Amino acid sequence: MGMMNQPTALEHVLITTKVEKIINWSRATSVWPMTFGLACCAIEMMAAGAARFDFDRFGCGIFRASPRQSDLMIVAGTVTYKMAPIIKQLYDQMPEPKWVIALGSCATAGGPFDSYHTVQGVDKVIPVDIYIPGCPPRPESLIYGFLKLQDKIMSGSMADRYKEIFEAVG
Amino acid sequence: MFKNEEMEINMGPQHPSTHGVLRLKLKLDGEVVKHCRPVIGYLHRGVEKICENKTFFQGQVWTDRMDYTSAVANNLGWAEAVEKLFGITVPRRAQYIRTMLNEYNRLASHLIWLATHGLDIGAMTVFLYTFREREAILDMFEAFCGARLTTTAFRIGGLREDLPPGFEKMARTFQARFLDCVDEYETLLTENRIWKKRTIGVGILKAEDAIAMGVTGPVLRAAGVQYDIRKAFPYAAYKEMDFEVPTRTEADTYARYLVRLEEMRQSHRIINQCLDGLPEGPVMAKLPKILRSEVNEVYHATECPKGELGYYLVGEKGSTNPYRFHVRAPGFINLQALPMMIEGSLVADVIATIGTLDVVLGEIDR
Amino acid sequence: MAMDEVPNETGAYIYDIKAAPNRQVVMPKTVPLPGLKTYLEEQAAAVAAEEAKWQKALADFETAKAKAEAEGKDAPKAPVRPVAKPDTNDMKFPAPAPATDPDLLHLQEVLGAKVEECFQQAGELTCQVAKEAILEVLTLCRDDAALGYEMLADETATHYPAAQGFAFSVVYHLTSIRRSKRLRLRILVPEGFEPESAVPVYPTANWLEREIWDMLGIRFQHHPDMTRILCPEDWEGHALRKEYPTLGLGQRDIDFREDRSGVLMRIAMEKAGNMGININPPRAE
Repeated sequence: MGMMNQPTALEHVLITTKVEKIINWSRATSVWPMTFGLACCAIEMMAAGAARFDFDRFGCGIFRASPRQSDLMIVAGTVTYKMAPIIKQLYDQMPEPKWVIALGSCATAGGPFDSYHTVQGVDKVIPVDIYIPGCPPRPESLIYGFLKLQDKIMSGSMADRYKEIFEAVG
Repeated sequence: MFKNEEMEINMGPQHPSTHGVLRLKLKLDGEVVKHCRPVIGYLHRGVEKICENKTFFQGQVWTDRMDYTSAVANNLGWAEAVEKLFGITVPRRAQYIRTMLNEYNRLASHLIWLATHGLDIGAMTVFLYTFREREAILDMFEAFCGARLTTTAFRIGGLREDLPPGFEKMARTFQARFLDCVDEYETLLTENRIWKKRTIGVGILKAEDAIAMGVTGPVLRAAGVQYDIRKAFPYAAYKEMDFEVPTRTEADTYARYLVRLEEMRQSHRIINQCLDGLPEGPVMAKLPKILRSEVNEVYHATECPKGELGYYLVGEKGSTNPYRFHVRAPGFINLQALPMMIEGSLVADVIATIGTLDVVLGEIDR
Repeated sequence: MAMDEVPNETGAYIYDIKAAPNRQVVMPKTVPLPGLKTYLEEQAAAVAAEEAKWQKALADFETAKAKAEAEGKDAPKAPVRPVAKPDTNDMKFPAPAPATDPDLLHLQEVLGAKVEECFQQAGELTCQVAKEAILEVLTLCRDDAALGYEMLADETATHYPAAQGFAFSVVYHLTSIRRSKRLRLRILVPEGFEPESAVPVYPTANWLEREIWDMLGIRFQHHPDMTRILCPEDWEGHALRKEYPTLGLGQRDIDFREDRSGVLMRIAMEKAGNMGININPPRAE
């Protein structure tokens, strides 16, 4: 911004900022989640999308069915041994940049199901950005977690992200 | 000239209708389904094995999470099964409150059913309308037991505490406006041309087939068989309640829709009777601190919103844990009838039929 | 809690399943199979034991009294027969009673020697039949006009490792819609025996028997599709057996993340029932 107190004619129509900030802001405020409700937490996710808690006001109202069109995978529910490779495949199908929210205790750490067929947490299958505990977490918790994700996206750096990916792939 | 081949596609475990992780292997000839094979087990969490290591008191927690849309009904079935195993009598006030919460749960479950069924078929507004009522019911559950969805509402021998103050006022306010809400849903769907075209004649399951496949619940009642466990083998306070069991004869998706709407009205009626006739008294039976079982086995079935929910328990002498815990899930048995209902129909009808069966994968896979 | 951390070359943390504290399996020592004969035997044995204890207490008192008189001391106090404390709980264990219900009597009459045991407990009718005759009994229950059990509500099985002569009990719950009645049929099956499938009589049994095969390892003869239903097709072990640990045999602890591109390749080649598995299938230790 100019040093003068009165804005010049050009400054009525221009703002200056970094490209990264704009991109981060647009990514954070229009995250498109993928419908991935597995178990009970899916019902709370639906309730968060309904009229009382209204997820849509944060920009993530459109739940895309296909992973190829979504940015965010909200893993809501228990991850089982039979389902884990499918979660992996879906995650791989999502285009970068992508984020994962583990909703509920089952997705975080296996939940109350410590048994032979339950994977103890979805982070044993895919990398997770936000963990939301609860069984099931209230829709307000999901909204809070989502706002934290927005903060994470806004403060993220594109360069760091790509460096991470290239290192992981090897 | 054109080679007709059958195409095998996978309606995979992740698909946009929110019924959970169900996989259907469909063999299609164009748009017509020739053969269907459901594959389940993507949510198998080993609940039956886990509950063998938990006491009778603790087992309730896992019953909520099986059919997660109707947790209170699951809790009621389990509490009554354990009480039958031990021969415990529950006080009358507790029975009335249990009945009332069970019927609220039936409403909540049918509201989710209507929302998701409508969403699958394309009627997206219904979802927002029904969730508005559902939030009111969940507020009541939260006032009573602290949790919205996975309630763990009851205890063996009765209830943990009496109704909180203000509960009756909440319930009466809800009752006063609910019947108008059901009429509102009807104005959206019942005479809607698109709805009727999508649901009449779709997913037919005749009475003989239904009984042979062991199907229960609204699916059986829409085929003309009047079988409701609340009337046939009464439990809780249902003997003292006056209500009707709606049945229809067409056995298609539209008939099941009408049956479930009418069930919502009858549940409303039962709740009014519970609120009006609530007796005074204790809400918990006198029990020893540690429950040790004798050798006994019970099978106790209740009418869950989806059908007959049965609990099979085997007790070991002197043990605090059940020796065997098995759940007869209505979704598991109802889903077996799915191939019979959709062979010969279009792919779009498959979606409508899964919605009308009202399957919840949590209880199918346990 | 001793959990051996075994870091491997890549530095990933691998949980050592063998050292897990509740992976220890406790095999049951009793056979909780409800039955009238066993119940009556136990009651008689309990009454006899109590009587013997009382007689012993009296005899001990006599010897002690004689000993005290010989030494000139005061006689010890006479033993008092213990009276059972009245139970103020709202709990009364439902005891098994002999069969009086017309359905059970009809079954006994028609089947004769095939019925091994028949009793009523907690308001439920139970009938234990010979394992080879189960298909005949099911057909009778469905088709006989006096019985008319049209629906199979549930079929399940339990593992009794401590039992002699049998290893599993397979239980069938039948419902008569017309008469609002329930009946339980039970057969005792040794390890390796394959009962007849109930699918010809009640098609409901299709998935129920698949689940019994998956969880307990009992095969059924002439079943149209005897494959696993809940666990994946290549799962090893039968989960609800008493020797199978709740935490499993290590299958769930495989690393799903390592096989990035292998998963898609595998899925492309996979033809069997479930979606692609890691290239190294799980080995039960």
